[in-house]
Amino acid sequence: MSEFLRSYLVVVWFGLAAFLVGSLLLGISALLRPNNPTSEKLLSYESGVDPVGDGWSQSQIRYYVFALLFVIFDVEAVFIFPWATQLERYGGFGLVEMAVFVAVLVLGLVYAWRKGVLRWV
Amino acid sequence: MFAALFSVFVTAADWVSPSIDYHALAPEIILAGGVVVVLLLDLFTSENNKWMLGPVTSFTLLGSFIPILTLALSDSGTRSLFDGRYVVDNFSLTMKGLFVLAGYLVVLLSSDYLREGDFYEGEYWILMLSSLLGMVMMASSRDLVSIFVSLEFLSIPAYMMAAWRKRDLRSNEAGVKYFLLGVFASALMLYGMSLLYGISNSTLLTDIGKYVSGEMSAVRAVAILFVVVGFAFKISAVPFHTWAPDTYEGAPTPVTAFLSVASKAAGFVALLTVVYVGFPNASEVWQPVFWIFAALTMTVGNVMALRQTNIVRMLAYSSISQGGFILMPLAIAGEGDSAGAALRAVVTYLLVYAATNLGVFAVVIAVSHKTRSGAISSYGGLFSYAPGLAIVMTIFMASLAGIPPLGGWIGKFGSFQALVSAGTTWGYALAVIGAVNTVIAFGYYGNVMREMWMRPVPDGDTTHVVVPSAITVALGLTTFATLLMGILPGLVLHFGDLANLAGAFGG
Repeated sequence: MSEFLRSYLVVVWFGLAAFLVGSLLLGISALLRPNNPTSEKLLSYESGVDPVGDGWSQSQIRYYVFALLFVIFDVEAVFIFPWATQLERYGGFGLVEMAVFVAVLVLGLVYAWRKGVLRWV
Repeated sequence: MFAALFSVFVTAADWVSPSIDYHALAPEIILAGGVVVVLLLDLFTSENNKWMLGPVTSFTLLGSFIPILTLALSDSGTRSLFDGRYVVDNFSLTMKGLFVLAGYLVVLLSSDYLREGDFYEGEYWILMLSSLLGMVMMASSRDLVSIFVSLEFLSIPAYMMAAWRKRDLRSNEAGVKYFLLGVFASALMLYGMSLLYGISNSTLLTDIGKYVSGEMSAVRAVAILFVVVGFAFKISAVPFHTWAPDTYEGAPTPVTAFLSVASKAAGFVALLTVVYVGFPNASEVWQPVFWIFAALTMTVGNVMALRQTNIVRMLAYSSISQGGFILMPLAIAGEGDSAGAALRAVVTYLLVYAATNLGVFAVVIAVSHKTRSGAISSYGGLFSYAPGLAIVMTIFMASLAGIPPLGGWIGKFGSFQALVSAGTTWGYALAVIGAVNTVIAFGYYGNVMREMWMRPVPDGDTTHVVVPSAITVALGLTTFATLLMGILPGLVLHFGDLANLAGAFGG
């Protein structure tokens, strides 16, 4: 086996370990837990409230806009967290760059606000 | 092991803020600023004042042309930013100028078209500026990551613009086809790029150039092939052209002009930088690929164009076959010292093709405004009621066909000269195929001319064609450029000579 392929052996070992640990834990719990199926337990979970309709109901298309808006803040967080841990080192340059970045992302929010996306009609 | 982990922090400690050459980045900064201004204007103006968005867009484009000019005139030579990942050399400046001016012409074509239809205006300009910003960035990118980001940046707005006629099924089809095939191409290219990174442990093209050389292992050949095929989708080279006719026909006509000129040129720019800077020592892999692409693209594009009855579909196949002619010199770019000649030929052809093809679409928009039809037969008798349009259309058709003394001739001449001067059998063979195709192309370009000059008006309606002033200006500029480049070929060849690609073939 070449050196190149050998380095991929780690991936194989990790995969095996993940598979073993997972099946071990699930197997132990399957052996220990009491088995008492009822029809209530097969209901789809809706935050503790009694579900209305079945799990395949259509959802409101307008939710996708919120998902897109969420991405704005998500991306912002992804870049701000690592930057914030090294704030002093990147100094004024980093601060200005991050301000530009946040300003551009805020434009997306302003756009959504002016286009009436934030209003639930 | 922990020492190895912490060594990351030790080496990262001596971080210094990068010195940024703001002059070199000025075109990009102006375009980005234009996007923000247009977006805010769109949000905070009433419906009556939306007309100002088009002019603001065109001023942004002209504004970003100023730093391109000052950079070209300054004597500082090649400027290299971010450790050589972003290079502003003569090649990138020439192409940036092409993108920005082509964008300006598309603004002229779009403004009346948008106002008459039921379109979203503000977003259209924002997306177009974003796409152009991506193209301008592409011209300078010398790193796999920045090339990929630029490619997506220029493509994603274009997918949306293709579907801009929201209530029209064909336009939706155009957008979806373009999007699906574009994403597929991106995935292929990313796979090739990941292999390249695996080979060379660097995303910098100049570093990759050092590793992709010598004995070609299978993995190197596959990596090169996948990257090239990814860009072949963008330039709609056969057999990766299937999206082009449907997308061109369904998209709004100004967007079609934009896709067939600016987007295609951006694909060629990326292909040139990747091949010249990234794979200069692997010509035995990519030369045959380009040979096959060029031969197939010319022939299939031409043969399919002969059978079309719709003018935009015909132009779509025509632009596919023109892409084949632009690809021709790349098939011999690795032979001896013909790399420079091939680069000049491609750049010259792109400049000529951009002017001519934008002009053709300007005529198509003006004529369809009256005839409300896309059929080639609707051009019957155009000379009798709109002699001006018929004359400029004849000029553009003759230029695309390559008749001297029009611009298209000098483009074709450069391509053939580069091919023949390489002096290889394969080069001569491709030149013969190209020559045959040039003759075939007369069939469909001549057909449009015959309709305009010799056929009767199909429905007898000979009322005057009202050409909006913006389109008149666009027609004037493109006609002037097409004639000028044909009559004074030294001018455009001069730009070709200027287009030195920094770092090409290790130079």
